[in-house]
Amino acid sequence: MFNTRNIVHMDLDTFFVSCERLLDSRLEGKPVLIGGTSDRGVVASCSYEARSFGIHSAMPMRLAKQLCPEAIVLRGNSGIYSKFSNSVTDIIKESVPLYEKTSVDEFYIDLTGMDKFFGCHKLASEIRKRIIKETGLPISFGLSINKTVSKIATGEAKPNNQIQVVHGHEKPFLSPLSVSKIPMVGKVTYRQLCDLGIKRIRTIQEMPVEMMTKVFGKNGQLIWKKANGIDNSPVVQYNERKSISTERTFDRDTTDVKKLESIIIGMAENLIYQLRRGNKLTACVTFKIRYSDFQTYTQQRRIPYSSADHKIMPVVMELYKNLYQRRLLVRLVGVRFSHLVEGGQQIDLFEDNEKIINLYQAMDRMRERYGDRAVIKAAGMGAKSISRWNPFTGEPPPLLANRRR
Amino acid sequence: MKFIVSSSYLLKQLQVLGGIINSNNTLPILDNFLFDLDGNTLNVSASDLETTISSKLDVESSEKGSVCIPARLLLDTLKTFPEQPLTFTVEDNNTVEISSNHGKYALAYASGEEFPNPVELKDPFSTTIQGDILATAISKTIFASGNDDLRPVMSGVFFQFSTESLTFVATDAHKLVKYSRADVTANQTAEFIMPKKPLNLLKGILAASEEDVIIEYNESNAKFSFDNTEMVCRLIDGKYPNYEAVIPKENPNRLTIDRTQFLNSVRRVSIFSNKTTHQIRLKCAGAELNISAEDIDYSNKAEERLTCDYQGDDMQIGFNSRFLTEMLNNLTSDDVSLEMSLPNRAGILTPVDGLDEGEEITMLVMPVMLNN
Repeated sequence: MFNTRNIVHMDLDTFFVSCERLLDSRLEGKPVLIGGTSDRGVVASCSYEARSFGIHSAMPMRLAKQLCPEAIVLRGNSGIYSKFSNSVTDIIKESVPLYEKTSVDEFYIDLTGMDKFFGCHKLASEIRKRIIKETGLPISFGLSINKTVSKIATGEAKPNNQIQVVHGHEKPFLSPLSVSKIPMVGKVTYRQLCDLGIKRIRTIQEMPVEMMTKVFGKNGQLIWKKANGIDNSPVVQYNERKSISTERTFDRDTTDVKKLESIIIGMAENLIYQLRRGNKLTACVTFKIRYSDFQTYTQQRRIPYSSADHKIMPVVMELYKNLYQRRLLVRLVGVRFSHLVEGGQQIDLFEDNEKIINLYQAMDRMRERYGDRAVIKAAGMGAKSISRWNPFTGEPPPLLANRRR
Repeated sequence: MKFIVSSSYLLKQLQVLGGIINSNNTLPILDNFLFDLDGNTLNVSASDLETTISSKLDVESSEKGSVCIPARLLLDTLKTFPEQPLTFTVEDNNTVEISSNHGKYALAYASGEEFPNPVELKDPFSTTIQGDILATAISKTIFASGNDDLRPVMSGVFFQFSTESLTFVATDAHKLVKYSRADVTANQTAEFIMPKKPLNLLKGILAASEEDVIIEYNESNAKFSFDNTEMVCRLIDGKYPNYEAVIPKENPNRLTIDRTQFLNSVRRVSIFSNKTTHQIRLKCAGAELNISAEDIDYSNKAEERLTCDYQGDDMQIGFNSRFLTEMLNNLTSDDVSLEMSLPNRAGILTPVDGLDEGEEITMLVMPVMLNN
């Protein structure tokens, strides 16, 4: 069944910029940056005009502004982007048998078996044309036998184009490319590979697997497989969430304990509400803190399955008290709930009373109707922007301004 | 020191006592049985420091002395013998020799003085209760007790004696069972929390025994004496939560239903519930009870409808099906009644029939919050 699959990877070009351009045509042909506008912000998306200045996504906004002072900087609006993204999803959904949405602007489509009736390349081209025509958003795709090769192919096809890697030509297609094009290879791995004198994928293809495993461990084997165009991972339509988390980097590193606590309470409260809204319970709470010297500490604790503020909040605060020990400025704090299961809070005979249960239910109803921040703890009001997104719909998270590559 | 005893008689007694011995002890001496011989009576004890249980056996001897014999080794040996007399002889070279019809076996022993002495109860109160009544009280309640180390008082069964009745309560904060007998009384009021381990042992020994058990107790220890056996155990220290306060008084919604039918339905439906939370949903309306469960992760779903006798407002309530099955399983009546007030308040499960005169069982189960 797996001998020849046909996997398409579709990626909306400079998605956030394209959306902004649809809303405001004056942005056409100009260098546009989208991302956090504060000093700590990073570039989430930039137009091709901006890229010619050496700007790329995940670059600190400050540096980007120095490189291209005339660039138009926008804060971005994930709500609008999600809407555009959904209209693209709708088109894909009605034309293909199986797709996976991995982020707001990326899709994998499994067209295996469609050859018989349509011709995969023809069908993929038609979908692409239809998306461009109906939404006005430029999109590129790569078509090959698996996800990795398709994704790399899309990268080569951009901007606004398409590539088909014919079955059997994966290795020659990959070999002249830089190793940094392999999806797993980030900044650090790239540097390590360069140190070893490995610049082109061809070199990895010619190496034995064992050598890669020796240098990079388990990941080495994966990189080697990807470099050789081997990837058997299936296209999965729905991804069950295993954890939910939120974190916040401060505009300026802080030791203001009031502010820290306020933000932690705000984040935890919002996450706990997300649990209840998704009818989920958590059994593991993790707290994360990063100091200004980039030392990061995390601590986690198992708890009985719960989605009640008065059970989880004290644990979060306790972990925070345990971890916040160094007399240093704090750069980032984060809260994460994992070991999620479907279900409602088991009410305790002695510690809970119906007042508290009714309170949660009433607060949740208000939030459902008037938005997440309709009722919040006064102590948590310091946290201004916390995601309003429902994590349990199976959709990928909309990318916020702190997008990483 | 020398005595002769029947092998199966000894095995039967030792197996009961052996139940108290932990599998890995910090004190090696606790891996032994204490044999204390005084003429024709052999007093055998086993202990885990918290609880010490001892039995008097009739043996053939005219000597005195005490030794500690490795429990595991002795039990394993005794299990293999057919009924026959065994002769135990304490030799000079620190071994006990057992002679049977088949041969001789030597075990190393420790001196009897090394074995910890059982606690002597100072100024105890005492109450007498029939063995099987105590066994029933334990088995009706013990399953509801908790395992939480953070709340040690809930890991035991609460004994509440008064001049009007005896009450036994167990809870893990999610379910609660209260078992009371108005036909048995104590001379004075007293309250103490018994740990689970000795109770489980008592339950096994006392089931179907019509013999009287004398319970003696003070603030820190309790002693159960019956037949030729004595058990002394340390009580759980602490204040038992005020359980009466959490039993809802006003329960306008009352469901009466055949117990077996209800139990079977809950069991079947719960197979389709989430494997971790075991949540099921009960919907009561008119004369119909609708039981449903869903496991979204695997797209499993089940729904059953039962006819029942329901008086009250239409309501929906969620429960952990584990708790319901445990409770329904523990009851023996034909019909049960489930009284409820609100979806976020406890449901009260009681048997409708099959109780002895003066016997009363109240079971509380806390619901889970439902998303509508």
